[in-house]
Amino acid sequence: MEPIIKEIHTNVMEGNVTSVKANVQAAIDAGIPVSDILNDGMIAAMAEVGHLFEEGECFVPEMLIAARAMQTGLALLKPHLKNAEVVSAGKVVVGTVKGDLHDIGKNLVAMMLEGAGFEIIDLGTDVPAEKFVEAVRNQGAQIVAMSALLTTTMPSIKNTIDALNAAGLRGQVKVMIGGAPVTQNYANQVGADGFAPDASRAVATAKELMAT
Amino acid sequence: MKPRDRVLMALNHEVPDRCPMQVSFTPEFAARLEKDMNLGGEDKIHNPHGGGNTYELERSLGQDLLLTSVGWANSYYQEAKEYVDEWGIGWRSAEYETPFGVGRYTEMNIHPLAEDNAIEHYQAPDPNRPELYREAEWMLKTFKDEYWIVGVTVTTMFETAWALRGYERMLIDFALKPDLAERLLEIPYQYHLTAAKKLTQMGVDMIWIGDDIGAQHAMIISPKMWRKFFKPRMANFISELKSINPQVKVAYHSDGVVNPIIPDLIEIGLDVLNPIQPASMDPAKLKQEFGDKLCFWGSIDEQHTLPFGSADDVKTEVQTRLNTLGKKGGLIIGPTHHVQLDTPMENFWAMVNTIQQTPYSTL
Repeated sequence: MEPIIKEIHTNVMEGNVTSVKANVQAAIDAGIPVSDILNDGMIAAMAEVGHLFEEGECFVPEMLIAARAMQTGLALLKPHLKNAEVVSAGKVVVGTVKGDLHDIGKNLVAMMLEGAGFEIIDLGTDVPAEKFVEAVRNQGAQIVAMSALLTTTMPSIKNTIDALNAAGLRGQVKVMIGGAPVTQNYANQVGADGFAPDASRAVATAKELMAT
Repeated sequence: MKPRDRVLMALNHEVPDRCPMQVSFTPEFAARLEKDMNLGGEDKIHNPHGGGNTYELERSLGQDLLLTSVGWANSYYQEAKEYVDEWGIGWRSAEYETPFGVGRYTEMNIHPLAEDNAIEHYQAPDPNRPELYREAEWMLKTFKDEYWIVGVTVTTMFETAWALRGYERMLIDFALKPDLAERLLEIPYQYHLTAAKKLTQMGVDMIWIGDDIGAQHAMIISPKMWRKFFKPRMANFISELKSINPQVKVAYHSDGVVNPIIPDLIEIGLDVLNPIQPASMDPAKLKQEFGDKLCFWGSIDEQHTLPFGSADDVKTEVQTRLNTLGKKGGLIIGPTHHVQLDTPMENFWAMVNTIQQTPYSTL
């Protein structure tokens, strides 16, 4: 591995935006393949952050600053990605369901998915079922990832799945869900394809769903 | 037995006639309950943090603690639509639907200290305004002889600071701008400390502080970070209150997982930990590990059992808690959070009736 890729990896893990910016630009200028910078530098770093999070070695602030550093590097890489042999891991629509305004969990999931090479369409908070339907229909998303923090807003998860069914889109999109009171059991009950207890494990779930 | 004696015994690790109870509700559930109990519903709602309690409701239910609140947590549910509270924090509402009707939650959407330099000119509200303490004054005069009175200053540091700054921004500050994070925490800390000292001087039995630092499966910030930013302030907060009245108890609320810092909380003199979310921390294990040094408050699951379980499930859970977390006292039992509108009335009554009809002598 090029030393500069190793440095980018460290910079992302430490959340050092300034160094990521400088090193990613330097790597591009040096003609290092964009796919190497992305996969071996940034995506690998975010995977490591996710792993440390699962192990209880890293917490939300560290995850946020790493994701922010990753996004800075990604912005520099984006103009070059089209010409490079980089395949998106998949397109994911994310949002908190109707009635739910709590977005930290959703944001972390979006950041970690982006950090794993997924394209994100973030619909924000308090998202009505029809907006999820519209995004799947118009933007060709392969996964809908939605969350609810409260038991009172959990029924909106089922309503959204029902709306995807009614629109005839359920066959072309996978649904994954999460949020504090949400469990695998609930996912089974409402007919979701996947569940994840936290942002790091959401990446594994999304990858599994793309592979099925 | 008087409610206040029941609570005092429990908090002294003695066994009262039955476990003391404290229950709060969202305004929507409170309205449903008032109808169910044929209450007038004319009493003013007082409970902070989105609660809909009235003293009439609490006393009619046979609760043992009465709460009075001063601080930013009172900013929840101020208006039906958008509003800006006295801290300059903007709010909006979102509606949700349940089988029992429509409710709403308020949530912050404008953060006055989002810009780094905004703090230079920020003026927090004045915690010394006499009108803030009139309810407490009346409460103490009217109910202290009978009830255990709690002065509530929750959202003590972190939650108010994140409302001022924005949640993700505040979390990033801990990692990248620690000096700014310290200054941000200091604003609500000073406000709520002033309020808590005043309430203690007025004669409340317990001060309830709170900041959510736990998520469902782990702490939001590392124990190390908590020890840096929060522990010294909390230690000072508790010690200042105890120097005013050595008998005053201090309770602390954090959602989710807080196991790693419980020894620290005990070390700095905390008396009561709330709300003990059973899906996040095993109540029986907590009792085993810390039950001789710490009391507990809450523990009836608001994420699964109360909204989605059967009345029998609720009854079983209450009995389990009384036999574990509440063994030999040391517990104020109740739901982990405000009872939500999606809770079936029979589940609610199963909780209240089981608590009230289970004397310690039968356990």
